[in-house]
Amino acid sequence: MSSTTFAVLLPDRLPWYLAGPALGLLVVGFFLVTNQPLGASGAYVETYKTVTRKPGAATWRMFYFLGIPIGGFVGVMLKEDGFVRRAGYDALRDELPLGVTALIVLVGAVVMGYGARMAGGCTSGHGICGTAQRSPASWVATCTFMGAAVIMTRFIRIVSGGAI
Amino acid sequence: MKTSTAYKLLGLLFGAGFGFVLAAANLHEYDTIHNMLRLEEFDVFLLMGAAIGTSLPLLWWLEKRNAKTALAGTLTLSRSKPTRQHVAGGALFGVGWAVSGTCPAPALVMLVSGAGLAIITIIGLFVGLNLRDRQVAKLAGATTAADGEHRTLARTS
Repeated sequence: MSSTTFAVLLPDRLPWYLAGPALGLLVVGFFLVTNQPLGASGAYVETYKTVTRKPGAATWRMFYFLGIPIGGFVGVMLKEDGFVRRAGYDALRDELPLGVTALIVLVGAVVMGYGARMAGGCTSGHGICGTAQRSPASWVATCTFMGAAVIMTRFIRIVSGGAI
Repeated sequence: MKTSTAYKLLGLLFGAGFGFVLAAANLHEYDTIHNMLRLEEFDVFLLMGAAIGTSLPLLWWLEKRNAKTALAGTLTLSRSKPTRQHVAGGALFGVGWAVSGTCPAPALVMLVSGAGLAIITIIGLFVGLNLRDRQVAKLAGATTAADGEHRTLARTS
């Protein structure tokens, strides 16, 4: 596998005590300019509305949606691993055929999307922006999805006999 | 510059900043999320705690001072009461998150890091979000209070 990088300027993993406050400051900065939280699942929704020309779409959210992979790509390209063309989900593919992995990932993503829309947000929306606004609804949603994800991961571990 | 153009540029800029930090912290990797949810690594919990620990007191302080935002009047924070949808939806989100090992923003970074399967995650997210919207429209039900997502603000400035 060949990898591509611009230059290695970032560590393999920026420590939490730098990355966490950086995300927090982005949230505060976004509020200070636009008076808006920066949840990602809502950006998917507004992107879909914009592309399908639904009335009332917040078109600028699509630019937020597009900004994430652009910044993400720059970040990836400044790390030693860099950009590597691969299937991904190595831990799943070690145990399962590619088709089965794809199906499991698809079902998981549909459930995740449905749940995010039902809950009114995801890890960035409720998990950071909502909790930071001291929203009781966001704290409840965040504690619920954290708990559910840990329990589900435990379940996957038991079902896979400790392999995943 | 037109306000709508400013919003688009700001969206792009803050999106890029957000994506950059996600990539730098390796949050786009399945293993990072999976090991966190297996309770083997606590970095991501600490990262989220540090993000909230930075933004919560700052926003509180700014709210108290009636801080003016650059483009949309006085800073207003949303605080809704929890409903059953927050719990049920949160539980479903958590299950899906555990299975797919990524969430909406990191999935986009996963794709541009070269992992092709992430396209399936992103399509699945669009399908799931849309399914819920269709269901709500059909049942004429109220949408859930989304304090962390886009909101329509009364123009004050």
